Amino acid sequence: MLRLWPLRQALTTTGSLRLAPTCLTNKKSTAAQPAPQLVEVYVNDKQVFVEPGTTVLQACAAAGVEIPRFCYHERLAVAGNCRMCLVEVENQLHPVLMPVMKGMRVKTDSPMTKKAREGVMEFLLMNHPLDCPICDQGGECDLQDQSMAFGSDRSRFTDMDFSGKRAVEDKNVGPLIKTIMTRCIHCTRCIRFASEVAGVDDLGTTGRGNEMQVGTYVEKMFKSELSGNIIDLCPVGALTSKPYAFSARPWETRKIESVDVMDALGSNIVVSMRTNEVMRILPRMNEAINEEWISDKTRFAYDGLKRQRITTPFVKNEKGELVATDWENAFFTINNKLKGIDGDQIAAVAGGLVDAEALTALKDLMNRLGSENLCTEEVFPMDGTGTDLRVNYLMNSTIQGVEEADVLLLVGTNPRYEAPVLNARIRKSWIHNELKVGLVGSPVDLTYTYSHLGDTAQVLEELLSGCHPFSEVIGSAKKPMIVVGSSALQKEDGSALLKAAVSLANRLQATTRVEKSWKVLNVLHRVASQVAALDLGYKAGVSRILKNKPQVLYLLGADEGRVKRDDLRPDTFVIYQGHHGDQGALMADVILPGSAYTEKDATYVNTEGRAQLTRQAVTPPGMARNDWKIIRALSEFIKGTSTPRPLIPPQRFLKDFYMTDAISRASPTMAKCVQAASAAETC
Amino acid sequence: MPFYRTDELKTGTLVGEDDYGNKYYQNPMYFMGRSRWVEYSPAVGMDYDGSQVPPEWHRWLSYMSDEPPTVAKLVKYPWMQKHTENLSGTPQAYVPYSTVPAKIQAWTPPPKKR
Amino acid sequence: MLIICSFVSANAILKNVARSALAVQQRTNYKQVGKCDPDMEWKPIMDRASQTVFWTELLKGLSITLGYLFKEPATINYPFEKGPLSPRFRGEHALRRYPSGEERCIACKLCEAICPAQAITIEAEPRSDGSRRTTRYDIDMTKCIYCGFCQEACPVDAIVEGPNFEFSTETREELLYNKEKLLTNGDKWESEIAANIQADYLYSGYLTIEYLSLSCLAVAMQAASSADFPE
Repeated sequence: MLRLWPLRQALTTTGSLRLAPTCLTNKKSTAAQPAPQLVEVYVNDKQVFVEPGTTVLQACAAAGVEIPRFCYHERLAVAGNCRMCLVEVENQLHPVLMPVMKGMRVKTDSPMTKKAREGVMEFLLMNHPLDCPICDQGGECDLQDQSMAFGSDRSRFTDMDFSGKRAVEDKNVGPLIKTIMTRCIHCTRCIRFASEVAGVDDLGTTGRGNEMQVGTYVEKMFKSELSGNIIDLCPVGALTSKPYAFSARPWETRKIESVDVMDALGSNIVVSMRTNEVMRILPRMNEAINEEWISDKTRFAYDGLKRQRITTPFVKNEKGELVATDWENAFFTINNKLKGIDGDQIAAVAGGLVDAEALTALKDLMNRLGSENLCTEEVFPMDGTGTDLRVNYLMNSTIQGVEEADVLLLVGTNPRYEAPVLNARIRKSWIHNELKVGLVGSPVDLTYTYSHLGDTAQVLEELLSGCHPFSEVIGSAKKPMIVVGSSALQKEDGSALLKAAVSLANRLQATTRVEKSWKVLNVLHRVASQVAALDLGYKAGVSRILKNKPQVLYLLGADEGRVKRDDLRPDTFVIYQGHHGDQGALMADVILPGSAYTEKDATYVNTEGRAQLTRQAVTPPGMARNDWKIIRALSEFIKGTSTPRPLIPPQRFLKDFYMTDAISRASPTMAKCVQAASAAETC
Repeated sequence: MPFYRTDELKTGTLVGEDDYGNKYYQNPMYFMGRSRWVEYSPAVGMDYDGSQVPPEWHRWLSYMSDEPPTVAKLVKYPWMQKHTENLSGTPQAYVPYSTVPAKIQAWTPPPKKR
Repeated sequence: MLIICSFVSANAILKNVARSALAVQQRTNYKQVGKCDPDMEWKPIMDRASQTVFWTELLKGLSITLGYLFKEPATINYPFEKGPLSPRFRGEHALRRYPSGEERCIACKLCEAICPAQAITIEAEPRSDGSRRTTRYDIDMTKCIYCGFCQEACPVDAIVEGPNFEFSTETREELLYNKEKLLTNGDKWESEIAANIQADYLYSGYLTIEYLSLSCLAVAMQAASSADFPE
């Protein structure tokens, strides 16, 4: 149990600072520490002052010296088992993960240190296969880099013909992670990640010494929604990505920094591109959102960008079959249909992966056609204050705020699968910050213990009235958080649930314990486009469309099947614009090929209300185009049919020329010119 | 016929003949470059070409080794293919093609149910 | 002599002084570098005239030409005779196989990385048996500069520049080799390629594969990746 892990106990009970809490990745938990007196340390005879309790490694980093390491990782507990970080301290070799002492003299480039590193590297390489050419880690391998920088320039390994190198059987841990366990150097980063961050104790070691193996004990899948991160953590090629296997080298890919849209968190990602193909997706560091983790869906779903793509416009012919056509024909068909149709007979539905630019363009187009029927597929209760105020539908205390919170109430959500990275953050706060978690809704397997308060929204009423045992806990909290999952708001009673949550949040907010700046109410959305759509004034939910039954329906990436063909009139003209042939395309009369999030520069707003930009990594396939450009081009066609008006330039006569901006309007000379010019024209 | 093709008469010892009917001669009296020569198979007529020499004899004819393949046998594996001359300009010429499937699989509308 | 010197220097000084007014250069010393003027005595004149009249120089030159008619020719009669080639000759590319018939290439992409002309394009994926193989191995022979770096970079001797140079084509597109073409080349030329590698093994890096250390590969990969990651 990590909460009671001995190191932490040692920290809190005995007070002997074997390790600074900062090493445990938690910067917030250093609440009650005495004012630090800086300790003087010499790194290569360079004097640095560090706080007591910091490790030698951090002191070296402060001095600008990088220490080679394999097992140490900033966001994981300290293990100290790869031995690579040895440095000379007072004529003795010490691992740099020990805390600094006053007046310590660390030598990182002495002959002794150099020899120690070469020796450790030799030991590591002795049991490491020489299969770099077929290893996917090749080119981005810590072992390669460090053997280059710190290893010996020759090998003494000659035992090839006798006992040979150590070989370990590969483990099958599921469809995402490929294991080549012979390459493992036993840094145990993956094990620590699994048990500390992912909260799944699936990985561990068996055997000792040369027989030591990292694995899942029995052959089974590594069941975690964050499992892909151990690929990044592995310093060698023991754990690599199965879908990415052998497909590219790090030096031949271009890296484009982008944003994920698989959930509403907007994790920061790096898209690796080669020959106009997304090769893989890696996390990008963002402390405020995803630290350096991403979920498996974010990481591995990219091959879906290459299948089922709509690459040309389609138009339904007389027989009712969708036929591939060109843009012009598709636009003409739409335009012919829109002629003479009333504005309120036109409606639009935006799906979950749509960017803010396309939403804006569509809204402008619809408004110009005289329609206000714009809605999102995802439901959000609209009664009461609804979506007028932004705080009503945002995750107000932010993802990072979870680390400060002391009580967290999850309402109708399973953050483990709806927002895996947020769940990792909650677990981190639960470990380091004694976060208490309560859950309203059906019990789910989260990666931390929580008090299950009840299955129904009734519990919120009880909490409000104070007759529930948990209300004392949440009532005494300084920084309580209520996280309402948007999935719970999809049903009819969603608005009642939200109302109950809001009133509970307001009650807590009003207490003196809670700071005014701290926001209690949080909404956790599930889809990437929802916040932007609500920001832009889209109505949440398709109920209005189901009621009104419009003649023309514009589906902008709406694929969840909330509006079905049977719900509409038989003659409703459905336009679908999107990137995949899914439910929306199947019911469409005209299909316009849009682009996916890796193919456009677009804005997405995450559940915190944070606007982020995706960057174009590859070009849209075939005739597909950026979504807002499609809508803009369509608007041009629709414009062409309106009654022709003469094109009058704003400056027709000389008198129009002089005053066009603030400066020229303020100029008396220009005013005189205008006067003179108008006089000259009239006479 | 040989004289008509080569425009010169040379005397030398016959070193060997390959599977295609080309005869190889040697006369060390000539300087290197002229001391080994091939008499292309009569079957090809005037369509003789430098690329008609198979690899084994190519090695000897280009003076990479002094031992002809009749003396020093070269490796032979069952998967090896027969030599062909340069086929450019003939119907059998190599035409490049992609060895990988298309990167993007396009969606096609399902056939309409009746 | 002294007088002349002093005169010259005085002249120079004077000239420098008067240069602005008198922009005229005066040569005081020169050497004959061209042909000397012909000697205009009677005897040399007669000698020259008789040589011209009797074509002696022309005949002398023609006699050399005549002499070469009876000598061994200095040219080789391609395609019947061929010039000498080194076993290291870098000609047409080929992808080799192991004696078992298994293709050697493991898609490590080092040749692609090192190719200075960027003529090589590789795509790879796991084969059905899980081994690392290329699905695309294209060489644009019109880009290739035949530097041989690809065969130097190859850790398994898969890509080689074979001894064949008679692969000229009538169209450009025929020079865009794909994997099948390269493997076919290897299958046709393997006997000679293998013999050439055997002949040269003491002097090339081929033996070192067995003693290849990790850092050697790391150097190659580091070099390849350092272009992207300057850190």
